[in-house]
Amino acid sequence: MAEFLQALAQGVLIGSTYGLLALGMGLVYGVSGVVNFSHGDFISLGMFLCLALYSALALDPYVSLIVTVPLMTVLGGLVYWYLLRPMVGHQFLMVVQLTLGLSLVLQNGILMVFGGQSVRTPSVVESKLWILGEVVVRVPHVIAFVVSFAMAIGLYIMLRSTDFGRSIRAVHQNAHAAALMGIDVSRVQTLTFALGIGILAIAAALLLPGTPIQPSQGLRYTVITLIVVALGGMTNFVGIMLGGLIIGLSEAYGTIYLSDTLGMLLPYGIFVLIMLFRPQGLTWSSSR
Amino acid sequence: MLEVEHLVTGYGGVPVLHDVSLRLGAGELVGLLGANNAGKTTLINSLSGVVPPMSGRIRFEGQDVTAMTPKQRVEIGIIQVPEGRLVFPEMSVRENLLLGGINARARAHRPRQMEHVLELFPRLRERLGQKAGTLSGGEQQMLAIGRALMAEARLLMLDEPSLGLSPLFVQYIFGIIDRLHAEGLSILLIEQNLNLTLRHAQRCYVLERGKVAIEGASDVVKDDPRTRRAYLGL
Repeated sequence: MAEFLQALAQGVLIGSTYGLLALGMGLVYGVSGVVNFSHGDFISLGMFLCLALYSALALDPYVSLIVTVPLMTVLGGLVYWYLLRPMVGHQFLMVVQLTLGLSLVLQNGILMVFGGQSVRTPSVVESKLWILGEVVVRVPHVIAFVVSFAMAIGLYIMLRSTDFGRSIRAVHQNAHAAALMGIDVSRVQTLTFALGIGILAIAAALLLPGTPIQPSQGLRYTVITLIVVALGGMTNFVGIMLGGLIIGLSEAYGTIYLSDTLGMLLPYGIFVLIMLFRPQGLTWSSSR
Repeated sequence: MLEVEHLVTGYGGVPVLHDVSLRLGAGELVGLLGANNAGKTTLINSLSGVVPPMSGRIRFEGQDVTAMTPKQRVEIGIIQVPEGRLVFPEMSVRENLLLGGINARARAHRPRQMEHVLELFPRLRERLGQKAGTLSGGEQQMLAIGRALMAEARLLMLDEPSLGLSPLFVQYIFGIIDRLHAEGLSILLIEQNLNLTLRHAQRCYVLERGKVAIEGASDVVKDDPRTRRAYLGL
């Protein structure tokens, strides 16, 4: 029973951050139809930036956010404006190729600067634990959970009740009509991509404490994000957060009840099963 | 108010409109007729700036707008109600109207303008919180026009507002168009419905295969035997 609760806690806490990763990808897909295969490598980039800031200035990853969030947001905006924008709407495969190429560039750039060995970035809360009855939770996981849900709720409110949020939804629902309202579609797509990458900078810091990082890890995060987005029905906000929790939970239960390696397979197995029976994703309507 | 001179527009280097010229005076209601594929929607889209012109010139209130982006054109008041209405289906009626007034010029006046639109279309007031996708075709057309009025249109361009509506709704929508015209709004009305347009518009242009075939006062166009021929695409 203790094991069960332990896995439940860990799965929910980590799953919420997977949900946050996927929200960024879902938003970008929604407004520009871009599936970004370098998503995970941007997470890597965020993590290694935190490492660099720790090495140079002894900054805690949570403090590094002051630097990494604006930096990565701007980088995201530049990448969309100069690399993706000329391609969007022409050839879907070309866009995919481009983001795959970007993934290799990021991965090898990180390898060049930081080397290939696995490293850790210390944080003040890294080894802090909360003990609730039989369940032990790591404080960084609790922080990740709280911040992820707060961000998800904040994004939801932004999309619902600000002009910028409404323009994002308008471009998603009908880009032609949005342009006729005087919305600059390219600008909205660029800002959304920038926002998506900025969110990754936050997610990177949330996942970092206690986790060893290496340059080649990006693909794993990309795949996890992709399956969470697909589970959530691509653009459904609640569905994506739910998908994140399912993947987080299956990872946690897999590692506890199966072996370490087999456990890492469980999320993908569950994904295939769900897609076989509900190819439209978990949620009922395609509400956007 | 609007002057189009020798406009050539097309897609991928292939012209659809060949040397189209037309004028619309302030406060005028002008009809643009033509069969399917005559180039009506292409013309309205190049007036909105979403299809770039290959050559020719578009002037609005004396200002050359040929090179302006769609956004800039909305900001000076050139507003299109697109064919098929294209409301944002997953957003409420209220959100659709707010989006209509999102441009820099109209944004600050949205509460006042919304009140005006809801007076014009009481039906929309009853449906404010409802998703636009669940409205009937006629209600969606009201919403599409309301959304354009939220943008504080100076030139309202309507693309096939009667398309797919029941006769009762067509009557209603044309009543609204007459009322807006009477209030002094300049309107370019694109229609397939020949008789209806000739009855409501002061002047008409008939497009045929991307060229202006006939133009003049509605009575004249009505009696021109070429009109029906152009219409049947003969």
